[in-house]
Amino acid sequence: MKQPILLVILATVLSGQTGPPTDLMEVNPRVFVLQNAIVHAEPEQSISHASILIRDGLIEEVGTRINIPDDAVIIDMNGNHIYAGFIDAWVDLDPKDIQSSPRSHWIDVVHPEWVASDSYTHNDSTVKEWRELGFTQLHVGFNKGIFRGQSSLIDLDKAASITSSAVSQVLDFYTRPRGEDGYPEALLGTIAVMRQTLYDAEWYEKAVEIYSRHPNKNEQPEADLALATLSDARSQRTPFLFRTTHETAAQRAIDIAKEFDLKLWLIGSGYEYRRLPEITEAKPFIILPLNFPGKPDITPPYRADQYTTEQLKHWDMAPDNPQKLVNSGAEIALTSHGLEDLKQFRINLSLAIERGLSESAALAALTTTPAKHFGLDKTHGKIKSGYQANFVVVRGSYFDASNPVQSVWVRGNRYDVDLNSDLEFDGSWDFSLEKMQGKLTLSASPSQTSGNIKLDTTTITLNHLKLDGTRISWTADLPHSQKPGMIRFHGSWNKDILSGLAIYPDGQEHEWQASGHTARTVKAETSKASPSNLKVSFPEGAFGFQELPRQPASLFINDATVWTSSPQGIVKNCDLLIQKGKIKKIGQNLTPPKGAEVIEANGKHITPGLIDAHSHTAGASINEGSQSVTSEVRIQDVLDPDDISIYRELAGGLTTIQVLHGSANTIGGQNSVIKLRWGSDAHGLIMQQAPKGLKFALGENVKQSNWGDDNVTRYPQTRMGVEQVLRDAFIRAQDYKINMENYSKRPLWRKTLIPPRRDLELDPLVEVLEGSCRVHVHSYRQDEILMMLRVAEDFGFTVTNMEHVLEGYKVADEMARHGAGATTFSDWWAYKFEVYDAIPYNAVLMQKAGVLVSFKSDSDELARRLNLEAAKGIKYGGMTEIEAMNTVTINPAKQLKIDKWVGSLEEGKDADFVVWSHHPLSTQAVCEQTWVDGRPYFSLEKNAELLAQDKQIRLDIIQKILNTKDGDRPGPSPDPENHKYQRAYRDDQAWEGGAR
Amino acid sequence: MKRILCLYLILSTYLWASDQVPAAPQTSPILIKNGILHTVSHGVLDGFDLLFEQGLITGIEKDIAPSSETEVIDARGKHVYPGLIAGTSALGLVEISAVRATLDYDEVGDITPEVRANVSYNPDSESIPVTRSNGVLFVNVAPRGGLIPGQSSLMMMDGWTWEDATFQHPTAMHINWPEMSLDLNPESEIPVSEQEENRRQRLRALDDLIDQARRYEISQRGEPTRLAHDLRMEAMIPYVNGKRPFFIHAQENRQIEAAVRWAQRQGVKIALVGGGDAGQLSALLKENQIPVIVEGTLKLPSRRNSNYSESYDLPARLYAAGVDFCISTDGSGFAAAQVRDLPNHAAMAAAFGLPLELALRSITLSAAEILGVGDRIGSLDVGKEASLFIASGDILEITSLVEQAYIHGTKTDMSDRHKSLYKKYQEKYRQLDRVEGK
Repeated sequence: MKQPILLVILATVLSGQTGPPTDLMEVNPRVFVLQNAIVHAEPEQSISHASILIRDGLIEEVGTRINIPDDAVIIDMNGNHIYAGFIDAWVDLDPKDIQSSPRSHWIDVVHPEWVASDSYTHNDSTVKEWRELGFTQLHVGFNKGIFRGQSSLIDLDKAASITSSAVSQVLDFYTRPRGEDGYPEALLGTIAVMRQTLYDAEWYEKAVEIYSRHPNKNEQPEADLALATLSDARSQRTPFLFRTTHETAAQRAIDIAKEFDLKLWLIGSGYEYRRLPEITEAKPFIILPLNFPGKPDITPPYRADQYTTEQLKHWDMAPDNPQKLVNSGAEIALTSHGLEDLKQFRINLSLAIERGLSESAALAALTTTPAKHFGLDKTHGKIKSGYQANFVVVRGSYFDASNPVQSVWVRGNRYDVDLNSDLEFDGSWDFSLEKMQGKLTLSASPSQTSGNIKLDTTTITLNHLKLDGTRISWTADLPHSQKPGMIRFHGSWNKDILSGLAIYPDGQEHEWQASGHTARTVKAETSKASPSNLKVSFPEGAFGFQELPRQPASLFINDATVWTSSPQGIVKNCDLLIQKGKIKKIGQNLTPPKGAEVIEANGKHITPGLIDAHSHTAGASINEGSQSVTSEVRIQDVLDPDDISIYRELAGGLTTIQVLHGSANTIGGQNSVIKLRWGSDAHGLIMQQAPKGLKFALGENVKQSNWGDDNVTRYPQTRMGVEQVLRDAFIRAQDYKINMENYSKRPLWRKTLIPPRRDLELDPLVEVLEGSCRVHVHSYRQDEILMMLRVAEDFGFTVTNMEHVLEGYKVADEMARHGAGATTFSDWWAYKFEVYDAIPYNAVLMQKAGVLVSFKSDSDELARRLNLEAAKGIKYGGMTEIEAMNTVTINPAKQLKIDKWVGSLEEGKDADFVVWSHHPLSTQAVCEQTWVDGRPYFSLEKNAELLAQDKQIRLDIIQKILNTKDGDRPGPSPDPENHKYQRAYRDDQAWEGGAR
Repeated sequence: MKRILCLYLILSTYLWASDQVPAAPQTSPILIKNGILHTVSHGVLDGFDLLFEQGLITGIEKDIAPSSETEVIDARGKHVYPGLIAGTSALGLVEISAVRATLDYDEVGDITPEVRANVSYNPDSESIPVTRSNGVLFVNVAPRGGLIPGQSSLMMMDGWTWEDATFQHPTAMHINWPEMSLDLNPESEIPVSEQEENRRQRLRALDDLIDQARRYEISQRGEPTRLAHDLRMEAMIPYVNGKRPFFIHAQENRQIEAAVRWAQRQGVKIALVGGGDAGQLSALLKENQIPVIVEGTLKLPSRRNSNYSESYDLPARLYAAGVDFCISTDGSGFAAAQVRDLPNHAAMAAAFGLPLELALRSITLSAAEILGVGDRIGSLDVGKEASLFIASGDILEITSLVEQAYIHGTKTDMSDRHKSLYKKYQEKYRQLDRVEGK
């Protein structure tokens, strides 16, 4: 039986008030007993018919039998569900009214000292929306910059009380909007700034400490709010919260957390399921949005073509993400962040639950888990004696999105959300008016009420039906003997009976009554969604593998023409034995070991896997072009293992590439040599044995010659200036090296003097000086080539490779004498002024002068046919076939200093090889198989299979989308163009940089 | 010794410092003996002779007897091909794509049908000798940019002036078909409905233009009450009348479909340029007999889930479906300097399923047919232009070299900027070797 609720009027919160009363002292006792509720005390524990005793904002007692104190106000909860107050684990905040300080960090997007709660004010309409979702606390943080300051916990009470103002340090892989100048400008620089700033914080802590002990021996370190805050955060083990927008970003955050031993939190992206083990292994606390994508618009077939397969799959698989994370042991908290319409939160949560997230896990993610990580596990998240009286009262289970939240309680104060009564008019009643007898049926949902009266066989619809608290009214045209017209009814609920007056058209009044209420049986929503039957592929989308290619224990290639790229040359009728990914034996008439997998290769040609010494494939960010020297940035930080170009290049016989920084500035960034292990994550791509390398650039790009008239102020604007930038950088590096060495050599200095600051920009330059970092120089004109050689010689290092080097033929003798290699375009020219003298005979002239020469692509397209580029070495100047093949195999391997492992087919080397249908320098050669580390990463058969699979998956998902109801899962569609996959730039056009 | 060295220097200076000299008209007959003739029109004739006089082929037979003034070239073991033809390019309209002053392919305005390519074709562009060095002897040079960039001209790769070099003008009126795909990204600045409206307006503009041109033509007939000429409309007349073709640049399936329907509705003649998705619409193209100028095969696939070989095997798919096509390099300013790679594009199509002889046809006779000059060039046939070349091997193999080309019967200067610089720097290293006593 249900009773109307007592209306409790709550005045302003007085507890803790420190100011004097403005008129008369107001005393408002805050002792309540909430009776007759289903209390979800903890995620795994609910108590029926329970009561909660609250005193002054704290829970005093919970249970089925509690002593009700005399001063308590008793509130009947009518069987409603009560949960501990929910925490919205992330809310974005605009930094407002924050004064910049002269002691701020020099980079305008580094503000660890900011405190979110300083800028937070309630906005009534959003507060109402949060309370409607059951939230009682918000975890807020700023939405600008890289280091975004400290997040805070704000209560959704009237006063916006602060539970905690410094919860975590918030970081974001932020890049500036296009057109905004400043360092950093690209993801590359963003990550470098994160690392440098964290190193600086370590240094700062030490500097301050040494200064405090030896103020007479040191200059006082410049006050820096950012570094001071960060060094505190690190010493207090404050969590570092990284915002992520995709699974690769999560892995980048994990890498940084490892490097600096940070306590890692993530704001999830919803894509975690794609790299689940890699992410959960690091055990980050994940704040998870429920931003499931809306239905792709696939009805017009051409429009459907605009969606990538991974977008279509994500539509189906995203709701499984929370469940998958929880099942793999991740600790998650939920957030409404990322939803355009907050109302979508409960709908999406229900969907996640239908897909297998348990209600207790969902509840934990809203209560105990965030409370634990936010350091509130003794006070928040449970309904337990001594805990904060933060509750959500729901008319039914919270996890049925149609049950409204009735009220939330924050710090013992009630905030009504839904003032409708708990009465259930819903259902059928025995109705009587005068002599009329019939059935009254009422249906009252939050959005709409309707009803009818059935008399014998006629059904009369109720008009103007209104339910307000205990009162009900409507009009109806019932058959009666009086003057025809509408009868007006009004009445109220009284002890299971509805009764009141009916006013006839002629003004006569009669009593009506309805009794014998039978509740409407809710038609159960039958179609329970089951988890998606799709499987993640690696990488996700078309041509991804379900399983990584296996490595046969023994592989035997029988009777091929083998281009060894070794002194053995081309061997006909040659066999290859491969074991555990390495070449075991090579030669004629070998016997296959028992159980070996055999490739019959009669008539086929085998070459080493091709190597591209100059590529930008798999770089999510290419240029940090904001400054002339950015040697601190590293391609390894921004590798994108999902780049489809990796697969397409495998299909052209490529197996190893050097991914380079672009050419926007004189000293670009650190390179990454990767093997095209399609399907692995970024770490798995990296060829660990490859020594470090650094990209330099000269000429027009560096001078911004082709950037338009607005770019005329960055130094250098001439080749003269380029030289000086180089010399300046290396002189700084020399000084730095000596300072570091002196400091580390002298124990007394170490005790009393502030140490030199570790500089990520100068570290690789020191390595260049020491010879442990390769030097790759984008160059075109002979003057700049020679200048670079002279600078290197003056500083005592060797240029490993000149890149492009289209006028290398003019100074090939100087290059040979210096010992610089050359990796060049076969026949590109005339696309800008500095390549007007480029000639396709460049390679041959350099080679004849004694320069180690390779052909490279600098293009995702060209990289798919480097064998044909090699053939141009024969056409233009007459290389031999073996020399030509070497330009794309052993020569680039030597240039990258990885020839011990790859670049030729020799015993002991990696089993990276290609099976060709024809002579590999013929235009008719088709790459039939590409193997890396003795694993088949590409074959024509597998490609056909993957293509068919993709087609089927797309058809299946499209049918699934068509079979969902309109309005199901509304929300924004994913970006259908997904430009990420359509990059095909050249180094020379790659100055936009930017990030994924 | 001194004298010899001087002579050597003079000679070698001549070799590398001189620009290429356009050839004089053919005055005496030339007979290429015993070559492997890739006629394109009727197969390969091994060991045949080919005679040409006054710029035209006059005989293809075994054992042609030369007259006394005939120049005889022994081509035993050599391959003879008709000059290769690139169906669309910006060659000659651009010298260095990053230097604005050298760009002449994009006139101001969205609709500039009046402009014609050949008048700004620079016959002294360094790209021209480089292009013919690989056997490409004809290039259809086309303006770019805007909805209607203008008219293209088929140029020969030799001549003192642009008039000398013009083989056929005009060949077509070019249209860049409006972008048909919509940006469905919810963060897109322009809402989808507005994009759809913009698209309708742009398509409407095309129809309006055709209507306007037709009305204009009518108004010019008879005796107009008042003379008022419109260069743009004048230029459009032969195209709206169906006398000459529109070349419609369209890649995506929606563009292709719309272009074909538009041509049907307007009753105009069209060919497609680009045609990335043409393979998906081959039935429509075949039914309407619309040829495609494939803009290169050495291109990335258009979508992430496209097969890696999508661009490589497009010609094979068009061939299998019975659609007429030719293969060109792409028409961008950047690619103008790379037209010389034309045979490589055809060769890639052959590696991915197009029969070899059709790969050759796709850069010779098929191109000539689509450009409306199939009766004059594109194959080795008596009566056709003597624009041909002798190569050391199969021209579809990169390693083959073009040894000598003839354009309208004249012997072409086979040097180019690249060979000159090559020679110049070979000399540098020869000098160094001498100094070092090697």
